[in-house]
Amino acid sequence: MNQYRAAELGLILLAALVTAGTYALAGASESGLGQGASIPANIGPFLVVVLGVLVLAHVAVRRFAPEADGTLLPMAALLNGIGYAMIVRLDQDLAKFQAIWTILGVAAFIATLALVRDIRVLARYRWTFALVGFLALIAPIAPVVGREINGARLWVSLGPVNVQPGEFAKIALAVFVASYLVEKRELLALGTRRIGPILVPDLKHLGPVLAAWGASLLVMVFERDLGSSLLMFATFVVMLWIATGRGWYPGVGGALFAVGATMAWWRFDHVQSRVRIWLDPWRDVTGEGFQIVQAFFALASGGITGTGPGLGSPERIPARETDFIFAVIGEELGLLGATAIITAFILIIGTGLRVAVRSRDEFAKLLATGLTVTLGLQAFIIIGGVLRVLPLTGITLPFVSYGGSSLLANYVLLALLLRISHESAHVKTDQVLVTT
Amino acid sequence: MNLRIRRLTVGLLVLYTVLFVQLNLVQLVLADGYRTNEANTRDIVRLFSEPRGSISTSDGTVIARSIEVEGELDRLREYPEGELYAHVTGYLSLNFGASGLERERNDELAGTSQEIEIKSFSDLFIERDRTANLILTIDHDVQRTARAALGDKKGAVVAIDPRTGEVLAMWSWPSFDPNQLSSHDLGGASQAWLALLDDADVPLRSRAYQERYAPGSTFKVVTAAAALDGGHATPTDPILEVTDNYVAPQTDRPIMNFGDSSCGGDLTEMLRVSCNTGFAELGVTVGADRMAISAGGFGFNDPSPVDLPNAATSIFPSASFFTNNIPLLAQSAIGQFETAASPLQMAMLAAAVANDGVMMRPHLVSEVIDSDGRTVDSVGPEVIGTPITFSSAAELKAMLENVVVKGTAKSLAIEGVRVAGKTGTAEIEGSDGTHAWIIGFAPVDNPRVAVAVFVEGDDTTGQQTGGATAGPIAREVMIDALEATVAR
Repeated sequence: MNQYRAAELGLILLAALVTAGTYALAGASESGLGQGASIPANIGPFLVVVLGVLVLAHVAVRRFAPEADGTLLPMAALLNGIGYAMIVRLDQDLAKFQAIWTILGVAAFIATLALVRDIRVLARYRWTFALVGFLALIAPIAPVVGREINGARLWVSLGPVNVQPGEFAKIALAVFVASYLVEKRELLALGTRRIGPILVPDLKHLGPVLAAWGASLLVMVFERDLGSSLLMFATFVVMLWIATGRGWYPGVGGALFAVGATMAWWRFDHVQSRVRIWLDPWRDVTGEGFQIVQAFFALASGGITGTGPGLGSPERIPARETDFIFAVIGEELGLLGATAIITAFILIIGTGLRVAVRSRDEFAKLLATGLTVTLGLQAFIIIGGVLRVLPLTGITLPFVSYGGSSLLANYVLLALLLRISHESAHVKTDQVLVTT
Repeated sequence: MNLRIRRLTVGLLVLYTVLFVQLNLVQLVLADGYRTNEANTRDIVRLFSEPRGSISTSDGTVIARSIEVEGELDRLREYPEGELYAHVTGYLSLNFGASGLERERNDELAGTSQEIEIKSFSDLFIERDRTANLILTIDHDVQRTARAALGDKKGAVVAIDPRTGEVLAMWSWPSFDPNQLSSHDLGGASQAWLALLDDADVPLRSRAYQERYAPGSTFKVVTAAAALDGGHATPTDPILEVTDNYVAPQTDRPIMNFGDSSCGGDLTEMLRVSCNTGFAELGVTVGADRMAISAGGFGFNDPSPVDLPNAATSIFPSASFFTNNIPLLAQSAIGQFETAASPLQMAMLAAAVANDGVMMRPHLVSEVIDSDGRTVDSVGPEVIGTPITFSSAAELKAMLENVVVKGTAKSLAIEGVRVAGKTGTAEIEGSDGTHAWIIGFAPVDNPRVAVAVFVEGDDTTGQQTGGATAGPIAREVMIDALEATVAR
């Protein structure tokens, strides 16, 4: 067993213990809010299932990507586990679904590792990914299958389940953009013209930026999903900058986003409302500002060490299982627990970007960057929304929030990162340089 | 590209640092502000959802309890006796906080006090309800008798066991139904609250311990005690001239007797007929210093020692104030001018005399019992002062018995029981009506109950006297209290 896998196994055991501990405490208090508390009877089987699922994932990594980084999977497991224990505490019925989705997510993780043996194969299907990504993006708008829930049209109804295809679209589009940029990056980096003292890009090279901008506007306008729109566009612009080294891409991108956001603010009541709440949630604490104010009360009542799992009053926060699960964690696990969540994301980001730096293959490097940025920005946007650092936009907290599509997509994303990680290490040990 | 990826890493780190800083602001720096924000009902909702101990009278009648209900809040605070104990238990309201014992003993009722929380290590693992129940000193029968005897008159009744300071009854009318305020129907509760606030009779406040009034002639007991203790008088000496007016130094305005009658004689006689002129003169003779010491000894000018929140402090002007205001000292000595006392204070006064000059701390909570039946806290008798000597108390007791046998407090007499007492009729500034008072205790040789009855006067009540109006009420309460305390 190499050192990565040994570390991974040890960390997985720790993550499982933390999960089971949180679950036991939450379950214990569920039976009577601190009074008459008893450890849930099924804690044994629960721990066995958690360990079983995680060990299965671990074995798959050993089998399919033995040289991959050993911390990514345990971090995801920890986030997933704490999130699950909180969902158990909030809503037993949702927890059952989340358990199934977690198992399916790990299955998707294993399947991705097994199927994608060489990350560069994905680049070959770039246009397929582009098409799939685009269709997934616009699917919720489609009649018949498209579903609107809570004012956002993000869902596609597939028989009994509602799927959020946007979660998968972000991966497909990252794959497409990475391979597209690897091919075009020299071109996109060069084409500048000098007007007076400043370098201005050729209009034709602005094409991709404009296309991405259009796509994210589409999402914003028709699906009313500010968070995903911001996330996709930001990821794209960052990847463009990483690939080309041209600082004006983020500049132009930022300007375009500002234009789009202003238009949206001007045009849509719900955007105006979000901004109003962000600027002053205390103006209307029982109406518009209710959710964020309740989140603040929850965080404040948590303090440093939290009320303890099951002992807070998070049932007052709307969307507590999904967008606002971070506030629930802050309340019941305190500043320490919330900091652990933030730290886990920082570690995932650091590891993901280190994987990108180490990768010798440009496509893999860009893809790893794109995937990591997507995950990192998504967590930042929603935590920032809950903490009122940004206007609130409803997206899930990766691995933590309730939501099948999100969980499945993020496990696939994780598998791709591990694949790239394995390859970069593999290349190094074999002393074979792969060029494209 | 690697350089840019490293820069990107730094950029993302900066973003997450912002999150971390803001998280600390919300959860630590600004947390207290959020916790106490008026829009934050978390604590009160929690208070309403969790178990809470009950409150019972000494005979086991439950007067406050939490029952499980369906709805957003798991429990409803219920007051089975309605208005009868409103000023004792107080209310526990979602919108308006808590009052009375609900407030004073919240930690024990809610199970958050240190003593109850963790008794032993094993408590961490066994099923146990940590809330505590309060057992009061009040006797349900005596309390009901107090309500019935006072009827629809505005006023208050307080009965105390002089030996222990246990409050046997404490009733104030008008009262209110605390169930209206603890209701989960917030609109209804708000309406009830506003109506109570608007009510000119201030039913939310207890006349028994939260308000103070001119005690009138009942205060002559203090003046008599000061004269006895100060060596200015004995029951039979001096003998004052019989007169219908007394003119104090520094004034030419006379103090008159009730009904413009004439009176005088020794201290026993002056107490029997409640002689204003004599006591005014006696007060001036005793002097401001001695009067202030005696009044202070009985509890005037000190925060009320009772175990209830927002109890009124009874007042007697300071000695220095009277130096150039001797006429006002004469007024104060007969319980007028700025002298003001709560009915609870006057009951304590009677109780101290009854208990041979030893004043016991008045209290309503006798025991705090946890859900296992273990006594967490037991409130025993506690001496808080000796306002008069044993011998003065004995002389005073004899003289006050004489007031019931032959004097103004005949209405207090109970067949077969030796009863002592003193009436009071206090003038109200700006009104033709009078407040009627009576204090008393029984049996004289070994007192088990001391009472104070106050009937509030206004323009509609007219001239009501302590003997005629308050006496019969006190008598009924005393008879019941004597029965209730036989076994104590």
